Formats: sequence, C-alpha cells, structure tokens
Amino acid sequence: MEPESDAHIMQRVAAGDRKAFALLFDRYHASVARFAFRFVGDPARAEELTQDIFVKLYRNAKAYKPTAQFKTFLFRVATNHCLNEVRRGEYRVSHTPTSPQEDAEEGGVDVAAPEGDRPDEAVAGRELERAVGEALKGMSERERAAFTMCRFEGMAYRDIAEALEASEAAVKSLIHRATLAVAKKIEELQAGTLPARSRA
Amino acid sequence: MSCMFEEDLTAYVDGELPPARRAEVETHLGTCAECRQTEALLRRTLTSLPALPEFKPSPDTRRAVLAKVDALPLPLRERLKALLRPSVLVPSLGLAAAMGVAVLVTGQETQSVDVTDAGTLELAANLELVEDYDIVGLDSSEDLEVIENLHELEVQ
Repeated sequence: MEPESDAHIMQRVAAGDRKAFALLFDRYHASVARFAFRFVGDPARAEELTQDIFVKLYRNAKAYKPTAQFKTFLFRVATNHCLNEVRRGEYRVSHTPTSPQEDAEEGGVDVAAPEGDRPDEAVAGRELERAVGEALKGMSERERAAFTMCRFEGMAYRDIAEALEASEAAVKSLIHRATLAVAKKIEELQAGTLPARSRA
Repeated sequence: MSCMFEEDLTAYVDGELPPARRAEVETHLGTCAECRQTEALLRRTLTSLPALPEFKPSPDTRRAVLAKVDALPLPLRERLKALLRPSVLVPSLGLAAAMGVAVLVTGQETQSVDVTDAGTLELAANLELVEDYDIVGLDSSEDLEVIENLHELEVQ
C-alpha cells in the first residue's frame, strides 16, 4: 500500500486531526532538528526551535496549499521562525559544543558520530564539525539557511528559493558563497591553521 | 571574484545549471586553471561533508511537541460549534425563559427580552467567548474574521 501523501496528511492536520500531525512529525522532525542545529549551532537551542517550528506548523496548517511541496512549506516555516528568533535576539549563533561529551554536559543532546565509526574517524568527524561550524558561524543567516537546506536536506535550488522567498539566482549566489566558506575552513583544518575553538 | 564564471561553479558541481550555461562553463573550465582549481576544491568539500557527525534530536522532543499541541485551544469555529449544540443551547433558552416568566410574575416593568430568539442568545454566548482574548487564537486570521463579523452583528 502506498504511504499517505504529505499533502493529504496536512489536510487532516488542518481539520484538527492530531494523530495525523504526529505522523507528519515522525516523518520530518529529524530534518527540522538538523536544520535548526545547523542554524544556531547549539543542540539544546535546536531542540527548542524544533518544538516551536512544529507547533507553528500545526497552527498554520490551513495556510498550506496542496499544490506546493510540503517539505518546501515546512522549511519556509522553519526558516522564518529561525530568522525571527535570531533577529529578536532569542538565540545567538554559537556553534560551540561539538563533541558528544560536551553536548552531554550542556544538556544531554547527542551530536553523534556515524554508527560503527572507528575512534580516529570519530575524532576526524568532530574536527570536521568544528571547521563547518566555524564557517556556518561566519555566514549570513540566509547563506546558512540555503547551505543547510542544500547540503544536509538535498533540496533543489528551486525549492530553496521558494522556502526563502528569493530568486533562484539569489539562491545560487548564497549557496556558492557558503560552500566556498566551508571549503576554506576545511582547507585551514587540513593545513593545521584553523584557530582553536572559540566560545560564543 | 577573479573570474566571471566563478559564481556558477557551485551550481555546475551541483548539476543545477541549465544545459546551455553548463556547456559554457565546461568550455571555460578547459581554458581557466583557476576555475578548475576552485571546482576541484568544491568537489572535495562536498565529498567530505557526509563524514560530519549526525545531530540526533532528543526522544523527548516528540513528547514535548505533542503535549504542546494538545494544550492548544480548539479552533474558534469548533468551540462555537460546541457551544451551539442543542444540549448547551436548550438549557440556556430554558434559563432565559424562566427569567422572563419571573419578571412577568413580579409585575415589574422591564425592557423586553426576546427569549424566543435563539440568535440573540447565540450572539451573546459568542461575544462572551470571543472577547476572552486569552482563549481565542488572535494570530489566526480565521478567528479574527469571526470576531469581526460578530462585532458587526453586535453593532446592528
């Protein structure tokens, strides 16, 4: 049997079906949490943002038109919420806690190395995380949002443009600048010139 | 930016360029060593990203979100429907009728209250509800529209 489409589930959510909402949450919460984490760089804050985004999605379910891709609609809600919260000063962009040990100390949220990795690979992963985190911290909010949607969610430029309410040409520029910034930080990491982690 | 093709290189690597522009960039790469270097750097970067540790949200997030959604008030339309159920409306009518009879029996002169007009009672019940701004979702355009309509009725 074909799984129920997101658009159909959203229609049920709009009619007040909270079980349908739970289904949608299960499908997309990992994506939203990843996005929020890359946006603010702090696991505990990413959790708060993820909760707020889904509550907002529920409250705005009637605004969704089934003609649009659900994921694009979801990321528009997520981006607007993250941008608003950061601009209101509710959240600073930190990108500081990167190791599972630190994350556990700072609220028990896991940023885990892929399962089955060897310890040296896990260390390399954490160093890479540091480089990417530094690059994300230095980006504009829109660059960070576009980069995250493109690189971690695999969204097409056209869909990112719709989520950001921007032109495709603008998205192309945002993603190019962001990807180059990450590339340069990774080069610094490999050259041993990436500065030690700075606490925000 | 050192080359007019540079900004297209990421879109080229991502396969996001239209065919004509893609062909132009490919031709250019054959002649521009700097762009070839940038392209290689971009490709290396994209290859390395899957090694990033994965962010795993806490299992508590689901419970917290569903609890927050459960705590939200029902939409105004549904609350109004519930208020206008016969089981709620009929006792209200009965109470209003009893009050009217009591007024007549005591022989006091009073402004007439049309207790037979269910619409009047409905409006009164609705206004009481919608004026409670802590209950009504004022960020919902649909709720605001209902409130506006009720105020118009009240004015009339």
